[in-house]
Amino acid sequence: MKTFLKLLVPLACSLVVAANAREVKLLNVSYDPTRELYQDYNTAFAKYWKAKSGDDVVVSQSHGGSGKQALSVINGLEADVVTLALAYDIDAIAQQARFLPADWQKRLPDHSTPYTSTIVFLVRKGNPKNIKDWDDVVKPGVIVVTPNPKTSGGARWAYLAAWAYALDQYGHDDAKARDFVKRLYKNVPVLDSGARGSTTTFVERGIGDVLLAWENEAHLALKEFGVDKFEIVTPSESILAEPPVAVVDKVAKKHGTADVAKAYLEYLYSDEGQDIAGRNFYRPRSEKAAAKYADQFAGLKLVTVDEVFGGWQKAQKTHFADGGTFDQIYQP
Amino acid sequence: MKLNQLILVSFAGLQFIFPALAADDTVTNSAGTVPAEIPTTTAVSNAPASSAEAAEIEALKKEVQELSQKVNTLEQQRELNQQTNAAASQEQIEALDQKVRILGRQRELDQETAAAAAKNQPRISAGANGFSFGSADSNFVVALHGVLQVDTRTFQKNDNVPGNDSILLRRARPILSGTVYRDFDFLFVPDFGNGTPGASSTATTPSIYDAYVNYRYSPAFQIQAGKFKAPVGLEQLQQDVNISFNERSLVTDLVPNRDMGFELHGDIAGGVLSYAAGIFNGVGDARNSSNIGFQDNREFDGRLFVQPFKQSDLKPLQNLGLGVGGSWGQASITNTLGLPNTTGGSQPGYFTDGQQQFFAYTNGVVAANTHWRLSPQSYYYYGPLSLMGEYAISDQDVRNGTHSASLHNTAWEINGGWVLTGEDATFTGVTPKHPFDPHNGQWGALQVVGRYADLDIDNAAFPFFANPAVSASEAHAWSAGLNWYLNRNIRVNASYSHTSFTGGAGGSPSTVPGSVSSHSEDVFFTRVQLGF
Repeated sequence: MKTFLKLLVPLACSLVVAANAREVKLLNVSYDPTRELYQDYNTAFAKYWKAKSGDDVVVSQSHGGSGKQALSVINGLEADVVTLALAYDIDAIAQQARFLPADWQKRLPDHSTPYTSTIVFLVRKGNPKNIKDWDDVVKPGVIVVTPNPKTSGGARWAYLAAWAYALDQYGHDDAKARDFVKRLYKNVPVLDSGARGSTTTFVERGIGDVLLAWENEAHLALKEFGVDKFEIVTPSESILAEPPVAVVDKVAKKHGTADVAKAYLEYLYSDEGQDIAGRNFYRPRSEKAAAKYADQFAGLKLVTVDEVFGGWQKAQKTHFADGGTFDQIYQP
Repeated sequence: MKLNQLILVSFAGLQFIFPALAADDTVTNSAGTVPAEIPTTTAVSNAPASSAEAAEIEALKKEVQELSQKVNTLEQQRELNQQTNAAASQEQIEALDQKVRILGRQRELDQETAAAAAKNQPRISAGANGFSFGSADSNFVVALHGVLQVDTRTFQKNDNVPGNDSILLRRARPILSGTVYRDFDFLFVPDFGNGTPGASSTATTPSIYDAYVNYRYSPAFQIQAGKFKAPVGLEQLQQDVNISFNERSLVTDLVPNRDMGFELHGDIAGGVLSYAAGIFNGVGDARNSSNIGFQDNREFDGRLFVQPFKQSDLKPLQNLGLGVGGSWGQASITNTLGLPNTTGGSQPGYFTDGQQQFFAYTNGVVAANTHWRLSPQSYYYYGPLSLMGEYAISDQDVRNGTHSASLHNTAWEINGGWVLTGEDATFTGVTPKHPFDPHNGQWGALQVVGRYADLDIDNAAFPFFANPAVSASEAHAWSAGLNWYLNRNIRVNASYSHTSFTGGAGGSPSTVPGSVSSHSEDVFFTRVQLGF
């Protein structure tokens, strides 16, 4: 009888738990190159959340150019969380749709950016155009592949990285920096809408001599297509890209997923979350994970948007708004 | 190669001139391509060479060596040129390849941009279902529809009702409908026709028939406010362009037409169950509400309609519908608007297919207290066959001075049709398989229709509320007709209707309703209809 009870009690408990378990669905609207990162992370989080709450979490992913994704959320795509390429795009959701408060960046550590990245060059094996730094990218005859800064977060980071480099090279002369970036975009024959599209253009369609790529995307291309076909060239200077994350309060509240969505983003800062970021070639924030993956990232001078451009709002208005510098210098 | 051959030929010539040279010493040039055997004696004399000849030979040797070196140099230059040209060609090919790839990608991106832009373009649509203009996401749509009906009525045996034959504009309605913010629909229908005899004084006055806003939370839950058809009678709810005959049957005399109010309605399970329930100002039988109605009482209307097999695989039963509509309301004691319409006469009453009044309340009668209606109803459509049946009770409390009564008026009808050309008949009309196009031997669709209807006035109406000497107590009508659907929008029809009466006037009175009820009504209808 006691044996029977010993079997019965856990069975009954598990049945009760199973009966109370629910399936929670989240939609993570992200930018282009994070597909692999969040596929990896979603599995880990689902396991973590199941153990913690007993609930099953199914996270759907949506990817595209960061600006385009933000616009989709503003226009009604019901994202529980957004994990976009830059803070300006989440600011736009906060300001235009009021789906989350204006101070959303204060809700998580490191301005709500659990990992960072930068912009590097991906060139063809043997580096036939001998591209070493930004100066080589702007030389006549070099074909450069990069997405459209109007729609892609990665493209905006790349544009600003080139501008920052030029400022350093030419004594912080804005006119010269503008000319430098103009020469860069003269070498860009096609503008995809997102980073993944540009990677496909460069890697699979064989267009161009150099791809201005997210660091993680460049590593992924090497991993996917082989080191015998491409090389990563790290410029002397680039920009510290800080892709932020946020819960879309209004949608999460409507879906009844606010708690899970919050936990989903917080877990990115956990040891496991940071480790997953590192193994997907994002630069982790935690010292432990950063040390573990230090070898895969080359050293270079990294500048920030705040330091050089006075923050994203100003950078956006000056360079990427309609009629801004990009519109003035880019001639398709 | 040509240069090389020329040198060799030249050298062969020298050998012919100096044959003795073949036996002398040999010099090999650096490229090893040209033999350099230099003769030391001439072939002519075969004698020891003089010093002059030796010198000449040396000069010739030197000249040959120089020529040989030139040949080598030229060949090296040619090879170098070939290599340079090959590299240049390869570069050109690669550059062209890049250009082709870039152009290909640019074209793809242009197409993607164009496709994305097209998705955001407003949509304009014109077709058999009308004309519409809407936003790309269909959240904002405005549609223009219309109904135009040009009728003729030709009465037989109408000596005592002169001047009722007519060519008339029965309906002339531009219909504006649409959607704003995805879930809010609207409909606005004025009528510039309204050529109903008896309404001649207002026949040219445009009036608003429908004007409402509908919030669509889901197909099953919608709420509507404004002026629209009260949810009671089946035939009344069928659209004007789709009714079988020119005029609705006697049963529609007993149900409300348009009324002002609020209605909750919806379709559940894909239309298997439809429901509607609302609160309205309340109108008399067959009446249209005015746009304002100041009264203290309200009427509740509702209807349930079931199409149990609509979503099943049983095709023969998919368009079987059964339902019941009803209303309940209370009227003010002075309310004449609660009595039936005045169509075909000057007093409230009931009218025939020919829109002539055969029963009228006497002057001074008002609707009083309760008025309720009940209308069981059904239809069945399968292939070319159409059947519709409806019964209606209109239980009306009336008062005339000190007399009051509860009049229990009833009506019923059954009508059927058969599409001779084989198209499916539906509650929403017939769509010809071969729209009218005589140039290509297409003639549209033909349908024969028949109907029997009866309206029985409560005998308690006589004599205090209606004069039995002029009003009939019952009307019985049969009709037969032919409908020609030229296409989805144009219909031409002709029908004959015979109505006989129980009771009514004797002799040949000259005013309605006596002039109508004194003998049976026979009328020939035609109609040319545009509906889009």
